[in-house]
Amino acid sequence: MTRAAAVLLGAVGVAWAAVPLPGTGAAGFALFIAICAVAAGALRLALAGVPLPENSFLLPAPLRAWIRFLEILRLLPWEEAAVLAIVWLEVQHPARPWHTAVLGAVLVAYLLAVHLAESGAPPRALRPQARVLAAGAVLLALGAAAGMLPATGPGPASALLRLVAAVALIAAAGLVLPSML
Amino acid sequence: MSSPSIPNDRAFPGPGSELEVRWRTSRHARRLLTLALAGVFVATLARRPEFAGLAAPALLLLAAGQGQRRLARLRVKVRASAGRAFEGEVVAVDVAADVGSRADDFAVRWTLHPGREIDPVGATDADGRTTRFTVTPQHWGRRELGTVDVMLRDRWRLTEGHATVSLPRVDCYPAPAQQRELVVLRRLPNRLGEHPARTAGEGIEFAGVREYVPGDRQRSINWPASTRRGRLQVNTFAAERSQDVVLIADATSDVGEPGSSALDLALRGVAAAARAYTDARDRVGVVTYQWGTASWLPPGLGRRQVYRIIDSMLASDAGWARGASVYRLPRAALPPGALVVVFSPLLNQRLVETLRELRERGFAMLVVDVLNAEPPNRPRVADRMARRIWRMEQDAIRFSLRELGISVVHWDGVQSLDLPLAGHTRRPLAAPGTRR
Repeated sequence: MTRAAAVLLGAVGVAWAAVPLPGTGAAGFALFIAICAVAAGALRLALAGVPLPENSFLLPAPLRAWIRFLEILRLLPWEEAAVLAIVWLEVQHPARPWHTAVLGAVLVAYLLAVHLAESGAPPRALRPQARVLAAGAVLLALGAAAGMLPATGPGPASALLRLVAAVALIAAAGLVLPSML
Repeated sequence: MSSPSIPNDRAFPGPGSELEVRWRTSRHARRLLTLALAGVFVATLARRPEFAGLAAPALLLLAAGQGQRRLARLRVKVRASAGRAFEGEVVAVDVAADVGSRADDFAVRWTLHPGREIDPVGATDADGRTTRFTVTPQHWGRRELGTVDVMLRDRWRLTEGHATVSLPRVDCYPAPAQQRELVVLRRLPNRLGEHPARTAGEGIEFAGVREYVPGDRQRSINWPASTRRGRLQVNTFAAERSQDVVLIADATSDVGEPGSSALDLALRGVAAAARAYTDARDRVGVVTYQWGTASWLPPGLGRRQVYRIIDSMLASDAGWARGASVYRLPRAALPPGALVVVFSPLLNQRLVETLRELRERGFAMLVVDVLNAEPPNRPRVADRMARRIWRMEQDAIRFSLRELGISVVHWDGVQSLDLPLAGHTRRPLAAPGTRR
C-alpha cells in the first residue's frame, strides 16, 4: 500500500513540476532524470524483499548480472536524485508560488511514503510528527505567500529582500517550534 | 517435525547481554536534508521565496529531531526453545530488547541472519520490543543459529541505532531413520530383557508343554493337554533376555550427495538403531571409527543413552577424535558376546581389516552398507576401466566379509531400515562357532 502511494506521489510530483513543459533542453533533461530516478526508486522498493546470496562465487553470468543490478539499485540514492531533478524542473518555470507550494507538499509526502515503504512501518508511525508537519504546511503557505508579495521596487535588491525575509521567518519558526512541540 | 513449545512467561530469565549501539543518520533524514538544501539553494540563487517555503517542512522535521537523546547501550535477552534438535525440527528463538523507561522514544526492528545450514521458517524481519523467530536446522552438527540485527529508530525516524546479537548454538541431531524390527542374537546373555530366548523361563512367549512336576505353579497347568494325555501337563515359556549391542559408525568417508552422504546415512542409521534397541531394553553402545582411532561410549540403557550416543558422534565430528586405537578397545566398549552392527560405506581398508579381526574374536556382526555413490561416469576408456575395477574391488570386499560370515546389507537411506534387515530380523543371528 505504502509502496503504491510512494510511486504515485513520485509520479504526481514529476508531472506537477513538468506541466507545462518548458521548451529548454535543460528542462527535458531534468524531466528525464526525474522519471528515471522515480522509476528506479519504485523498482528498489518493489525488489526490496529479494534476498542476495551470501556467496556469489562460481555463479552463472546471468545470476551475477542480476545480483550486480540489485546491488546498484539498492546502493544509489534514487529518491534524492528524483527530488533534485524535480526541483530543478520546477525552477525552469517562471515564478508560480502556490504551484511550488503544492509541489513542496507532494515532495514531503513522497519522501515520507518512501520511508514508510522501505521500513515497513505503518502510517501511524508518523503520528508523533503530525504537529511538526502541520507547522511545516503553514510555513509552506507562508513561503508561497511571500513569493506572491509584490516587489517594493524594481531591481534585484527588492527580490533579495523578500527572500531574506522569507528565510528569516522560516528559520525563526524552525528554531522556535521544536521547543514548543 | 514438532512445533516449538516455549512457556509464555513475561520476563526472560537471566541478565541478557549489553550491546553498544552505533548511531547514524537514516536515509530518510538524508532525503529530507537533500530537499531542504535544494530548496534553500534555489531560493538563494534564483531569489524566489516560494522555494524557501518548499524547504521549510523538511528543515522543520530535521530541526525537531535534533533534541533527541540517544541510547548508548542496549540490553538484549535471547532464549532458544531448545539446545538440541533433530534435523528439520523447528526451534524458536525469543529476543527481547530492554530500553528501560524510554520505550516510547524508540521503535525496535529485528532482522534475523540465519547461520549455515539454518533455514528460517517464518519472516526474518519483525518489529516490537520482543519477538520470536522460528528456524529449522537442515543438517546435523553443532550449528550456530545465526545473528540478529537490532535497529532502533527514534520517534522522528531521523537516526538509526544498530547493534548485533549472536544467537545461541544448537546441537542438531541426525534425523533417525525408521527401524522397528530388531536383529537378535541366537545366544543371549543371562540378563533380564525383552527378547525371548531359547531356554525356558518366566517370559510370556509360549515355548511348549511338559509333564507336571511338584513345585510347578497351578496356574500354568494346560488343562486341555492334561485331559488328552490323562496326566497333568504344564505350559512352558521362553525366558526373556536382553543383549549388548555395539553400533560402529564409520566416519572415515563422506561420499555422496550432501544430505544423503555415507556419513549422513551412517549417523541416521546409528540413531535409529540406538533408539530401537534401547526401546527393547537392550544395552547399546557406540564406537565412532575415524582413520584407525575410535571414540567410544560403553553400552548403556534407556532413552538418555540415545542422546549420549548421538552427542558422542557429534563430538567426534568436531575434529580428530582423541580415542583409543580400534584394535585396543577396552572390554567395556566391546563386551564379549555383543551384537556388532556396523554402518559403513566400506571404503576404508583398515576398517575392513578391523571387522575381520572382530569377527575372528567371536563377535556376531552385521554390516549395513551405506555407500550410494560411484565414481563419475566419463566417456574415456581408461575412466570406464577404472570405474569397473573400483566396482569389482567393492564387490570383492563385500564378498570377503560374507565369506567370513559377516552379513552385509545395503541401505539407500530412503527406505526404512527394516527392509534391508528383514532377512536377519526373522531369525536370530548366530555368532561364529555356534551351530544353527
